Amino acid sequence: MEYVSPFDERRRAAEPLAPRPVDLSGTRVALLDITKRRGDEFLDRVEELLQARGAQTFRVVKEIFSKPAAPEIVRHIANRGDLAVEGLAD
Amino acid sequence: MTTVAGAPEFSLPSVGGGPVRLADLCHDGPVLLLFVSEECPTSVLTLRRLAPVVPQLAGAGMSVAAVFEDPLEVAARVARRTAFPGVVLSEPAPYEVSRAYSLESLPTAVLIDRDAHEVGRVVGWDAAGLRALLSVPLTDEPPLRKPGCAAKNTYDAEELRLVDGAGGFDELEEMFEREWTDGLPVIPPTVERVEAMLGGRDGSLLLGEMAPAMARVTLERVAACAVLAGCRPEFFPVVVAAVEAVLEPAFNVGGQAVTTQPCGQVLVVNGPVREAIGLNGSVGALGPGWRANMTIGRALRLVVSLTGGGFPGRLDRSTLGNPGKVTMCFAEDEDVSPWEPLHCDRGFSASSSVVTVVGADAPLSISDHRSTSPLELARVLGEAAAATWSPNWWPLGGVSLFVICPEHARSFSEWGWSKDRVREEMFSAVVRSAGSLRWGETTPLVGGASDDQMVRKWDSPEDIMIVVAGGEAGRYSAVFGPCLGMNTEPISKEVQWNT
Repeated sequence: MEYVSPFDERRRAAEPLAPRPVDLSGTRVALLDITKRRGDEFLDRVEELLQARGAQTFRVVKEIFSKPAAPEIVRHIANRGDLAVEGLAD
Repeated sequence: MTTVAGAPEFSLPSVGGGPVRLADLCHDGPVLLLFVSEECPTSVLTLRRLAPVVPQLAGAGMSVAAVFEDPLEVAARVARRTAFPGVVLSEPAPYEVSRAYSLESLPTAVLIDRDAHEVGRVVGWDAAGLRALLSVPLTDEPPLRKPGCAAKNTYDAEELRLVDGAGGFDELEEMFEREWTDGLPVIPPTVERVEAMLGGRDGSLLLGEMAPAMARVTLERVAACAVLAGCRPEFFPVVVAAVEAVLEPAFNVGGQAVTTQPCGQVLVVNGPVREAIGLNGSVGALGPGWRANMTIGRALRLVVSLTGGGFPGRLDRSTLGNPGKVTMCFAEDEDVSPWEPLHCDRGFSASSSVVTVVGADAPLSISDHRSTSPLELARVLGEAAAATWSPNWWPLGGVSLFVICPEHARSFSEWGWSKDRVREEMFSAVVRSAGSLRWGETTPLVGGASDDQMVRKWDSPEDIMIVVAGGEAGRYSAVFGPCLGMNTEPISKEVQWNT
């Protein structure tokens, strides 16, 4: 039986994970603040821990947590960073 | 090995495409035929145990084909489940190929050389026997032997009839297997049904991209969801208008789809299309019983959760969800309402048909059989809404959708109150001091106010949305809880249903 898929099958295939770094030293890590309440405090602590391991960090802020990040923010992170950390939800 | 018999030729439909003949399979080397069936656990065990060695056999020039005594879609499903990488064939009733191979039980593995001669067979799961037949290592995991089930060519006519009857339900099960469902049975979206739903419209038309999957929402995919949901083709224009509405950036469907909040998407339909397709706005309007109500709301939810990727428990992280996330679509009862209908409030002509989508939680029923003045009734309705979201969350910062029952609406009308008056009085009546609201979850506004500063539940009367629906008897209205923190706005779209 031939069916019409309700899915955009192109988007359904899992994206492969990027290779994981062995060492954080010298890596550039983007910390994305999605503007959820107290997310910045969480990222402050993550930033301390990353810097203690030799990573260089930079902060990026999303306009509103409930909407996808603007393409320019994603591009900015991809261009400047090797890794990204995003805090989700409360 | 010694050739013991000539193998009967056959031509059977395959999962990979067109029909496959024995001659095709043994053209370049020997072939192992595995006669199996979904209902036979030993068949499934054999497929799972042999699956890992199929590539090795292929490397040695042997092809492996599973011949299912099942419909093609069942064969495809079992092959997927067992990770069986060989050729998958389906043998229809009355199982003449099985009879030609003199099968007695399943599974039966038959090895055939490139000259189409049978060189050996193993019946049931028999690890040592298969190892000897195929010269490959097989797992030593028990069981090493397991008998199978009767082959279907051995069934008598009555048994076959029963088996075929059961098989008729299988395409419904396949929808669950594919996860093309919200958990309830769905109508399989065959090409023919989707074409009927599209009604000549161009299925490739792109309506937009939907978060969180960032999926391209084409008219064809919406039609597939409408079929799955059980819509009739005449409902489709309403579904399309609803999808267009939720795709408006100001609705923020992606945020609603993934939030821990319970919110779903509530559809209110106005205008002549309601009557034309049998949308209920009268008795039981928010509940079950009417196909158009149930399936249009469900179609939108399937677009959001399947196409859009907001599937519960995956990217949809709603803590509790709410029953309205299955479906929530109703008509305003414009005939009994004493007021202008919702779509006119929102700038459409009375003769147009319009869908309004609102991001909202479950409805809260509000009983009032005792009020003796319009102000009392307005206060009862408003105070019920005061507890929505959280009791001390004032102002709400979002829209409250009220469904006023005909008896309440008639009372307001007889007391001479317009819809605007109801809204304004409700807005004014629901007010508290900041001091009384400063405990538990409260708003920054309340937190920063002096104790005696008065705070209202809504920022303005415009945040109170009113429609009239429900049965002629009973003084029960309702208010939907809001969806907050999403910057979501109700969106209205005209239904293109005459064209």
